[in-house]
Amino acid sequence: MQDTLIVLVHGIGIGAVFALVGMSFNVVFNSSGILNFAQGNMLVLGGMFAFLVLPSAPGMGEWFVLLPASALLIAALLAVQGYITLLPLRSSVEQHSWLITTLAVAVIIGAVILIFQGTASQSVRSPFPAFWFLGTRVPAPYAIALALALFWFGVLHWFHTRVLAGLAISAIAQDLDAARAAGIRVRQLQIIAFAISGLIVGSAGFVAAPVIAIANDSGISYALNGFVAAVIGGLGSDLGALVGGLLVGMASMYAAYTYGGEFQDAVSLALLVIVLMIRPEGLFGRPAARRV
Amino acid sequence: MRTTFRLHMPSAYGLAIALFATALAITGPAAAQKPPIKVGEFLDLTGAAATPAEAARLGIDLAVKEINAAGGIDGRKLEVFTADTQTDPTVGVGEIKRLVQQDKVDIVFGPIISQVLMAAAPILNEAKIPQMGATGSELITPKLAPYYFSLLIDADSQAKAMVAQAATALSAKSGAILSDSGAQANSFVEAMKREMESHGLKLTGTQQFQYRAVDMTPQLLALKRGNPDTLFLFPSSGEDGGNALKSLDDLGWNAKVTGNYTIATFAAAVIKGAGKESLHTHDVTGIAYKAFTYCTEADTPKAFLDFVARAKAFRPEQAAHLSMQFAATIYDGVQLMKDAIEANGGKTDGPTITAWIEANAKNHKGILGSLAASPSSHFLIGPDAVTAVYPDRLLEGGIQQRYGC
Repeated sequence: MQDTLIVLVHGIGIGAVFALVGMSFNVVFNSSGILNFAQGNMLVLGGMFAFLVLPSAPGMGEWFVLLPASALLIAALLAVQGYITLLPLRSSVEQHSWLITTLAVAVIIGAVILIFQGTASQSVRSPFPAFWFLGTRVPAPYAIALALALFWFGVLHWFHTRVLAGLAISAIAQDLDAARAAGIRVRQLQIIAFAISGLIVGSAGFVAAPVIAIANDSGISYALNGFVAAVIGGLGSDLGALVGGLLVGMASMYAAYTYGGEFQDAVSLALLVIVLMIRPEGLFGRPAARRV
Repeated sequence: MRTTFRLHMPSAYGLAIALFATALAITGPAAAQKPPIKVGEFLDLTGAAATPAEAARLGIDLAVKEINAAGGIDGRKLEVFTADTQTDPTVGVGEIKRLVQQDKVDIVFGPIISQVLMAAAPILNEAKIPQMGATGSELITPKLAPYYFSLLIDADSQAKAMVAQAATALSAKSGAILSDSGAQANSFVEAMKREMESHGLKLTGTQQFQYRAVDMTPQLLALKRGNPDTLFLFPSSGEDGGNALKSLDDLGWNAKVTGNYTIATFAAAVIKGAGKESLHTHDVTGIAYKAFTYCTEADTPKAFLDFVARAKAFRPEQAAHLSMQFAATIYDGVQLMKDAIEANGGKTDGPTITAWIEANAKNHKGILGSLAASPSSHFLIGPDAVTAVYPDRLLEGGIQQRYGC
């Protein structure tokens, strides 16, 4: 029982990272219908930023200063990506070139990391000490990632319910054509949404750098798990991404403990299939009417 | 006397000139007509395996330079043709076709990635070209690639050395296995089961982790339940090895760790990930080529250190950051191939070279010392050529101290 609790705590920690990626998927998806498959690599880029700027034994002060810098840097990158992705699209909902462009960005990021950092996975030390749980040390970034996930969940809820731009993005999510007819500057808001997703994933990468693989080829794994978290929770639902991420993290860790490490990814995907079979809109998603 | 002198001197000059001309006519053109031996560098120069491939290329190029400077093989110079597989089997097939069908190479060195070799093997088999690389998969048998030899320590040899280390040095009665999920690791687990049984060691559990896994807590907790005397660790990268040790530390489980070739060869990455203290806490050992180890500072491996000095003079920038051990391994492979061709009167066909290496590898006297090959196994590094080392006790060239010294 004690071992199971330790495993689940680690699962919640890594699940919080998946939840953050899932929420960043949602922000872009709600505004444009685009699933940005480069989010995993953007998370890794946030970690790479931490690796490059933090000293080998970082202090808390510089960590707090550089955290927003990482978020802003990745936000700027994602805004540029969003602009380029949306540029040729009259409507991102009806055209699907974004599928290729988002994958292309993921490949380009991987290639750039490969060229400048090689194939080795980089390691980053956290300035925060590990905390003790049932006689074992649990890395502090797990707790910080969970706090960050809750923070971004709260911010997104506030943004979508209290801020005009957020309300407008919610309007776009409900009916893009109606929102455009109402005078909402759709393209501008979509790029803002890309940037917000960059803030989330850039801060997540920086915070989780000590517990994620920072390498040219590791982004796809985080993109996949973040996507599964978002779909299980219900695409577009931030609460769903939060719960879905934690579920995926705990399920994959528990599977490794019980059945073996080779089943970690398989269990996440099995969870996805089961949830979609029982509740196709996801745990917290709402069924949407579609014009046929 | 003068007359005689005048009469005889032109005759002597004429005779000398005639002899010189005859000698030129016999030897000069014949030597010039001898075609070069075409060497294919079939390496994964870009992609995931780029770093070791660059080291391999350094070893091949240095060997070729030295062989050509000494007159070539059987009077034939070596001419190098380079191909980049991009660490991609599909690209590798296209590149090996170019080397074989267009450049018409006689011998091939590389690749490093097993999947690339498996894809390229049918083309090399058909052309009967002898080949030497550094792949680790046990699936590459003489049946699959009859003219191919590997210079990498295979999973079987690693298992033998690791179990022997645990049974003798640690007096272990039981062990658990933590490996990654790659093809070589699967072969390793099977070999470990056989070896542990033959040494009377109880296997308390096996667990796998995925490549680039950071947190191995669940796997280690599962293995800890078996209370093994030692943990056999088989990662494919130093970073994964470091993460495994770090997870052990976080759990507070002070298991003794018997590591594989990766733990020794990529010790710097292991230490970077887990810290030097962790290696001492877990009494970590790794497996290394005996040729790259020492016991005391008085018995350092001279042949290898000479190679390092020559490599530094040859390409200083590359030698400064590439694995000299890997470069030396491939360098020795080129020398073995040279011996095989010379011993067979310049023949370069696969069946002849293969038969010679199978029969004579044990007599090899290069950097690596005696090698092992047989009709049933083309892994040149046998169990006798490897030993357990302290990964963090390093001297010049990355040589490591043998365990127990």
